[in-house]
Formats: sequence, structure tokens, C-alpha cells
Amino acid sequence: MTGIIPNPSVFLVMASGQIESAVFPDFEELYCKFSFVHGQDWVVTSGLEEGISQITRKSRDERQLFVWNFPLEITYKSTNPYGWPQIVVSCYGPDMFGNDVVRGYGAVHVPMVPGHHTLDVPMFVPLSTSKLQKFTSWLLGRRPEFVDPKVVAQGEGRDVTRVRSQGHVKISFNVVTRDMKKLGYDVIPSDVTSIPAGTATSVVN
Amino acid sequence: MAEVHIIGQVVGGSEFPNQSLFCKWGIHAGGAWKLIAGTKEGQTQVDIPENEDFAYWSHPIDVHYATKGLQGWPRIHLQVWHQDSFGRNELYGYGFIHVPTSPGCHTLECVTWKPNGTFQEELMQRFVGGCPQLKNPDLVYSGADRYKLHTTAMGKVHLKLNLVFRNFDKYGVEC
Repeated sequence: MTGIIPNPSVFLVMASGQIESAVFPDFEELYCKFSFVHGQDWVVTSGLEEGISQITRKSRDERQLFVWNFPLEITYKSTNPYGWPQIVVSCYGPDMFGNDVVRGYGAVHVPMVPGHHTLDVPMFVPLSTSKLQKFTSWLLGRRPEFVDPKVVAQGEGRDVTRVRSQGHVKISFNVVTRDMKKLGYDVIPSDVTSIPAGTATSVVN
Repeated sequence: MAEVHIIGQVVGGSEFPNQSLFCKWGIHAGGAWKLIAGTKEGQTQVDIPENEDFAYWSHPIDVHYATKGLQGWPRIHLQVWHQDSFGRNELYGYGFIHVPTSPGCHTLECVTWKPNGTFQEELMQRFVGGCPQLKNPDLVYSGADRYKLHTTAMGKVHLKLNLVFRNFDKYGVEC
């Protein structure tokens, strides 16, 4: 570990956690892929940006749960919270003919507040644009997919998509930040009763 | 200048009379506020949920404001629309909510409403659909001319926002 930097120019965000489980009432077997998406000012300093899980079968009890228990760990550095990293998850599973079909896309921001967080990510798939396409895609076993799953982390161009939501993925994160306060950023309410050092000196001057 | 980051999602909508919904959103801030980065308005996907009465939009918001004053604190205004099987869009509700004034993670619910029509219009709506809309959507986030309206309650829009403030304590602002 490096020592204390008196005047940092970057802050660090470390997130570790796991893709715990999923609920998809309509399916039997699933695996998932994840990738982290971030803005221009962000750099990964350690950890994996992308990964792919094992194939899991639904639990044989009333919970009907898919468990992946898939580890995540990533450290970022940045100068600016704009473009804060998001995790994009996509789930796939075989259909009745054995084709690998996408069962859901979802995205969520990595939490900003240090500590433990459990996130629920709604999952959705794009729909065919016409009845004819719907029929041919069923016939050929090629369902609509996003060419790049990372579009679900973007706000632009979403208005033309029609989707069906059909499940949830549960992700847990432990977040640690470093030097955010030193760069002037507040991610938790500051203590109103204590006057920060900067304000006190400006009063004296 | 003090800076505010608003980072989060328009999660979805619930308790609307029909599914197949989408949302148009925008952020409105006062004159002292300057948008540094990010887009301050957008339109979500149309969700047709399979198992739930909740339309998920998962639409990301990431904006960076700088400000010289606290007046005109940003507010998010929303319009929820219903898209039918023919691709026709019908207004389902207006709403606005203030961006919270404390940093951290906030889960918000925005209630929505839609304008009533006259008896004739409402009768017509039953058969051909459609809904009266505001000529001036600014009315949603300004209280000035609201008294002229008759409205009906609609569903809720769910948002999750992370707020990061910068240099507020340098100017003695406590939040």
C-alpha cells in the first residue's frame, strides 16, 4: 500500500462483492456475463472488467432461485465522479431446442457510499419490432439481442426499444473510497456541528 | 463554484392502470446552475413486464452541475406514457420531484397526475383513447398556474439517485 498522499489528484474506488443469485420464474438453466462500464475519466487499476459465470440450475424448492455466488472485485481511479462505473449483467440460457438465448439484460451503478450494499437489478430482453419478425425469430431460434450489451448502461437511443422485463439479479457490493473527501467530494452528509478546517481559516483571514 | 453530481437511474413505474409504459424525464435547474457534463433529459425504453405489475426502465442518469447559488435547486420532471399495440402513445401522467439536498444514496418515489378533460372529452376518451395534455409542460414543476387545473391521480415513478457534492463546506453550506 502506498502512503498518505498530501495533495491527491485522483480518488480511488474499490468495489468487491458477488453476483449472488437471480429469480427468473420462466426458465430452468442460466449463466450470466458481467462487464463494468465507465466514463472517460475512469481507469481500472486492478481487477477484472469482464467475466462469465457457471451454468446454474434453479433450486428444487419453493425459492426457485438461481445461485451463482460469482465473485467481483475491481478498483478504479478517477478525477471526477462523472461517468461513475456501472455493472452490466446479461443472462443466457438454453431454450427448448438447445439454442443459447438471452434471458435478460440489466445495469446498475456501483454504489458510491462506502459500506455494504445489496442491489436488485431488473432484467429485460428486447422485443421484435413486428409480428413477422417475432415469428421468424421463433422459427429460426434467433431472438432479438443487443449487439453490444453495454447499451443498457447508456441513456441515449433507448427510446426506440421495446422490452419485456422477466426477472431480477441480486448483486452485493462492498465499497471503499479513498481521497474523495480530500478532493472536496461529499458522498455522505457532512457533520453540521463541526466546522471544517478550511472554513475556520477563511474566517480568520 | 460548488458542484453537484446526480448519478442514478429512473428505475420504473408502478400502479398505472396499464402496462407497456415509457417515461420522458428532464432535469430543470435555476439560472445560477450550469450543466458541465451529461444529458439532462431523455426518454426510456418501453417495458412490457412478463410477471409483475411494474414497468422497469433502468434508465441511467449521470449529470454534473456547477452552481453559484442554492436557489433553483434541480428538480426532475417526468411524463409517463402508455404505448398500445399499434404503437400509439397516450399520456399517463405528469410529475416532478426535487433532487434531494443531502449527499448519499436516495430511493425516491414520484407521484403523478394527469389533467381531466370535460365530460364530452372523457366520454370520447373511453372509445377512442387519448388524453388532454398540457400545452405548456413547464406547469409541471412551477406552482404558478396550477390552480386552473383539474387532475386525477395516476401511478408512481421510482428513482434511485446517488448524490455527490463538492466544495459545499468550503462555502459554509451545510448539507
